[in-house]
Amino acid sequence: MRIPVGLVLSATILLSCQRSSSEQSFDSSKVPRASPEEIDRLIEAFIFAEDGDTIAIPAGFYNVKTQLILDNKKNVTIKGAGMAETVLSFKELTSGGEGVKLVGQNITIEDLSVEDAPGDGIKSQHCDGITFRKVNVTWTNGDKSKNGTYAIYPVQCKNVLIDACIASHSKDAGIYVGQSENIVVKNSLAFGNVAGIEIENSDNAEVFGNTARDNTGGILVFNLPGLPKAEGRGTKIYDNDILSNNHVNFATALNEQPNGNTVTQIPPGSGLILMAAKGVEIFNNRIHYNKTVGIAISNYQITGFPTDAPNWSPFTSDIYIHGNEYKRSAQLPDVTKEFGQLIAVYNAHGKGKTQDIIYDGFWDKRLSPDIKTNPMNVCIREADMSQLRFTLFDLWEGEENIKSSSDYAPFDCQTEVHTQVRALSTR
Amino acid sequence: MVYGEWEAPDVDINTVNFDQMPFSKLSDYGFFKGKIREFNPGKGVVLYEPASSLFTDYAFKTRYIWMPEGASATIQDDSEGTIDFPENTVLIKNFYYPADFRYPLEKIRVIETRIMVKKNGAWEAFPYLWNEEQTDAIYKAVGAEVSVDWVDQQGQAQFVKYIVPNQAQCKSCHNSNEVMVPLGVKAKQLNHALPGKGNQLIAWEEAGYLEELKPLQAYPAMVDYSDISSDLNLRAKAYLDSNCAHCHRAEGPASTSGLFLNYEETDPAKLGVFKTPVAAGFGAGSFTYAIWPGKSNESILTYRMGTNQVGAAMPEIGRGLVHREGLELIKAWIDAMPEESFHHLSAGKR
Repeated sequence: MRIPVGLVLSATILLSCQRSSSEQSFDSSKVPRASPEEIDRLIEAFIFAEDGDTIAIPAGFYNVKTQLILDNKKNVTIKGAGMAETVLSFKELTSGGEGVKLVGQNITIEDLSVEDAPGDGIKSQHCDGITFRKVNVTWTNGDKSKNGTYAIYPVQCKNVLIDACIASHSKDAGIYVGQSENIVVKNSLAFGNVAGIEIENSDNAEVFGNTARDNTGGILVFNLPGLPKAEGRGTKIYDNDILSNNHVNFATALNEQPNGNTVTQIPPGSGLILMAAKGVEIFNNRIHYNKTVGIAISNYQITGFPTDAPNWSPFTSDIYIHGNEYKRSAQLPDVTKEFGQLIAVYNAHGKGKTQDIIYDGFWDKRLSPDIKTNPMNVCIREADMSQLRFTLFDLWEGEENIKSSSDYAPFDCQTEVHTQVRALSTR
Repeated sequence: MVYGEWEAPDVDINTVNFDQMPFSKLSDYGFFKGKIREFNPGKGVVLYEPASSLFTDYAFKTRYIWMPEGASATIQDDSEGTIDFPENTVLIKNFYYPADFRYPLEKIRVIETRIMVKKNGAWEAFPYLWNEEQTDAIYKAVGAEVSVDWVDQQGQAQFVKYIVPNQAQCKSCHNSNEVMVPLGVKAKQLNHALPGKGNQLIAWEEAGYLEELKPLQAYPAMVDYSDISSDLNLRAKAYLDSNCAHCHRAEGPASTSGLFLNYEETDPAKLGVFKTPVAAGFGAGSFTYAIWPGKSNESILTYRMGTNQVGAAMPEIGRGLVHREGLELIKAWIDAMPEESFHHLSAGKR
């Protein structure tokens, strides 16, 4: 959908409110440089690793010019001397999609940092049992347009634990779990990314005890079409701090239109976004100072992309939002993205007003002719609903006739979302 | 460059101990005789060529196969004609540059030789880096970077920082469901005639390397993408198969993307038509779809083939230069796609 620019508040003034962050958790330039021989030994340790090995990486700054790949091994631990002590820099990597790639069963990576990988930081694929613990992945360039895609990137994995990690400055998602099942993301920090934490096309995930701050969007649960794992279901997001996610969206260059990557459409100031999500419970989070919207319940139609794909539905369904704490920002909502413009201009509470919860109002019309019957089973039961700014949009008639309502009554219900990750939480 | 005069001692491959591989030097295997840079093959070392080859920074390549005496392979019944190889099969691939591409047999500089060996039922890959004197190559697991220059077909000076991959990177491409596999030795890549030598499947049968061939029509065959007399669609798909589909297939590492570029794929959505990216990051450029039919300059596929930015460039490893001829072919293919015939895929598109 496109919103006529004439309706939008003065974009040039509002652009100045956008934040950008170059914060680093520590200064790796002070870490002593590893020698070329030490770097070759590290590369060989990955190449020749055997089942059951521990690859201990002593303190040092390793300027690695090739990929570190662990190829289909069992029970391997990769252990640094600490996030601020062992730094793997891929700034001079000249070929390869990611700095570190891990494949296998029961793999752990801990106590180290990865910097400046041109593509992804640490990717794990086809793992059964992968633990990231006390791992920091970041980009140190001042120019964020050159940063990589995902910092911590498990994909097509089972039994994923991400614990006490830090992910920052990625051009897409800091912590991204895709096409996986049985997932815990806990006690981690994501800041300065386009998306802080993202669960995509994944089953059975719990995200708790994390801080997602100063990203463009804090926490995302998406299902994208056309993937081998067609659809994911079952995510619980609780006890997180989702704060001031007002970072400029640098997934594309400033002044450039969104491309086909969905994150390029995320408006700065988004706390949580659901898109084509199935079975998500969001409770007991602190959702503070996100200038555009606290929680956006959206369907894939909002992207304007084709919505046909096998075994996949563009609709968000079976959602339960309750017991969260909201604090609104004094800043005006985003108008750099169409989704932001929609919220800023057409919400049911008045132009330029930050929203706590919005629902884009697409639903599967085969189920019911009227959204007031709550056909997608979207339930919102917050303590003081009348004090929150809730908007239900009606976008079916296109940009010429956008309607909105503040009536939350159809969605006052509760529903059950099933997850089971106890084995991972205690690992 | 001054060639060394050293000649390799004569080694009989049949007597080497496979359990001790990788050997420290290429000459230890006995694949080539005398001055091994001349690639005079030992007994049973058979030259082969795939129908469509992978682009590797304009490097020339020669490929050889060797099997133990009396052993032979079987072509499987699948759509690609994958081949089941016997224990101790060896594949040898040399990467080299003539100083002047207009004289491809002269002043050759060999950069690396990659060996794949099937041991204990599993394939392993070993990279060898050639020395300055071009007398031998040494086993180099951690990879290397080599500056190479040459004069191209048009007489222009060219240069590349050639990357010899590290051993673990081999599996970035040689990977089917996380099992290491050879790529070019499939019936679809071999079922064609080498100049002056006849069909390769028959040549392999005559060498004793294949058993009981059926009539050649019974096996799949891919076109040579550089053969301009072939159908544009088949040429483009052959190019994509050899250059992309080792990862971009259901069994490959890039299955995560849902973009499948193997020769057998016929679903336009899986081939990228009006397909949005998933994890492309800046690889998407300013574009929305992998392929926008009729608009090669607005397609992510050609954008990623045409950039050298690490993290955006495709394939992810194996090239530091743009393959101009390959890019032109894929652009022509996309531009020849009538957009209106894909309307069923573009419903709702911006």
